[in-house]
Amino acid sequence: MTWEEFIYFAIVAVLLWAVGAWAAWKDKTAVAYTSTAIGLAVFFSFILMMWISLERPPLRTMGETRLWYSFFLPLAGIIVYSRWKYKWILSFSTVLALVFICVNLFKPEIHSKTLMPALQSPWFAPHVIVYMFAYAVLGASAVMALYLLFFKKSNITDEEFDITDNLVYVGLAFMTIGMLFGALWAKEAWGHYWSWDPKETWAAITWFAYLIYIHYRQLPKQKPRLALYVLLISFVLLQMCWWGINYLPSAQGSSVHTYST
Amino acid sequence: MIGGGLILAGLMLQLSVGAVTWEAFAWPANGIVLAGFLALIAAMYLLHKKVYAFRFIGSYQAAIPTLVYAVALTIIMGLTRQTTNGTWLNNMLAFWPFVLIYVYMAVILGEVILRRVTHLTSWRRDLPFLLNHLGLFLAMTTATLGNADMQRLRMITTVGEPEWRALTQEGGVREMPLAIELKQFIMETYDDGSPKRFASEIQILTKSGQNIETTVDVNKPVEVEGWKIYQYGYDTQMGAMSQISILELVSDPWLPLVYTGIYMMLAGAVCMFVLGKREGGKEK
Repeated sequence: MTWEEFIYFAIVAVLLWAVGAWAAWKDKTAVAYTSTAIGLAVFFSFILMMWISLERPPLRTMGETRLWYSFFLPLAGIIVYSRWKYKWILSFSTVLALVFICVNLFKPEIHSKTLMPALQSPWFAPHVIVYMFAYAVLGASAVMALYLLFFKKSNITDEEFDITDNLVYVGLAFMTIGMLFGALWAKEAWGHYWSWDPKETWAAITWFAYLIYIHYRQLPKQKPRLALYVLLISFVLLQMCWWGINYLPSAQGSSVHTYST
Repeated sequence: MIGGGLILAGLMLQLSVGAVTWEAFAWPANGIVLAGFLALIAAMYLLHKKVYAFRFIGSYQAAIPTLVYAVALTIIMGLTRQTTNGTWLNNMLAFWPFVLIYVYMAVILGEVILRRVTHLTSWRRDLPFLLNHLGLFLAMTTATLGNADMQRLRMITTVGEPEWRALTQEGGVREMPLAIELKQFIMETYDDGSPKRFASEIQILTKSGQNIETTVDVNKPVEVEGWKIYQYGYDTQMGAMSQISILELVSDPWLPLVYTGIYMMLAGAVCMFVLGKREGGKEK
């Protein structure tokens, strides 16, 4: 399996997800579940076959992490849909997944078979996969914040805020697990669990930023819009942690997290 | 406001006594500091009914601005180049305002933990709270204070020659309680020549008389009598023919405490995911 065949799997998966999203609008719940689930299975089978043909988990390059991100967005979407029956969530997750798929189609990055010894660890897959899932869910919470801040005309309901909060709780839980898995791995690979490497520094920033949101939401008196802005800023900081530091002068040459060969 | 005051105080400390010297915290100093710190937190809690400021420290109104300060200072750290011999913003870990804000955060954590422990209501509400907060408190304080006791040394082993001396990070030579002899250096490469695996077959002799033959791989350190031995480097000029292997020896006596904190936070995160917001975190 190579990236040549990616487009076929991607088209089938996106079509199935689109049918699922349409069904959600029409309240055809069963169709929404089945179609999205089959789409996920198709997409995941591509990831699995990549994994087998590369003889390593496809998690090293940015293109490969985008692959997982495109997979986790509809997955997070269907979980949110099953819990809170939000009609628009599947449309949103499909569109976002499509964006990442298109990036991979038009700007593929080198996908060689090699995996340097530092990355050959049982921690590698869980560390990155858990993080990608966290990013997907926190992405959904950021879209929720955008919608509530700029598109919704009427007042924000408690229910809508509850959904946003729950997305943040789930996202932050996964982010915490990803970060701590990283710490446990770092001890095995580099001899120390936390070295304030630029990636780690930005991971701490992102983590604290979401903690601000969670603690602010516990206040008895609060400004809802301010809380939502905190959420958006947190998501911007998350981008910095994910890929922004690759362009940051202060991180150049000093991060052990850059694995582009 | 307290955060702002701490930053000012930190700046004055930075000007008057210079950067924080973490090396001064080696055992037993860090043990004494930790005991004193815990005593301080307990004393503040006992007096919280009498002193308004101590009551305030355990509130959301104290926690949120402190988190904002911590984020702001850490962003500065993320935007500037950090070096161990840098000054001020270029060595954030030794920059007083940064250190004081994180210490204050630990004090807040301590206060809210004590407050919660003395007012338990239901495990669904309190267990995730305590795992998250106590875990972070434990990991933060013991990692910071224990850092001065961590030893990281490099040992250059040569085929057929037992070595017991190692280089400290400052470049000094130290005699180790164990000797290592390199039996064979192993290097495998991919078809394109990039490294696939490098490892060292070694024999370890300890002062207590243990004789161990083992292999150290990248990502697979070996632990012997409190020392973790890592594959660090080799003679890159010689590649697979290298006759030497550089090993890193790490000892961190505080690690079990830090790991306890990390595992508590992991359990707390799982609770957070399973229980969600309404059951898990919400104040009444």
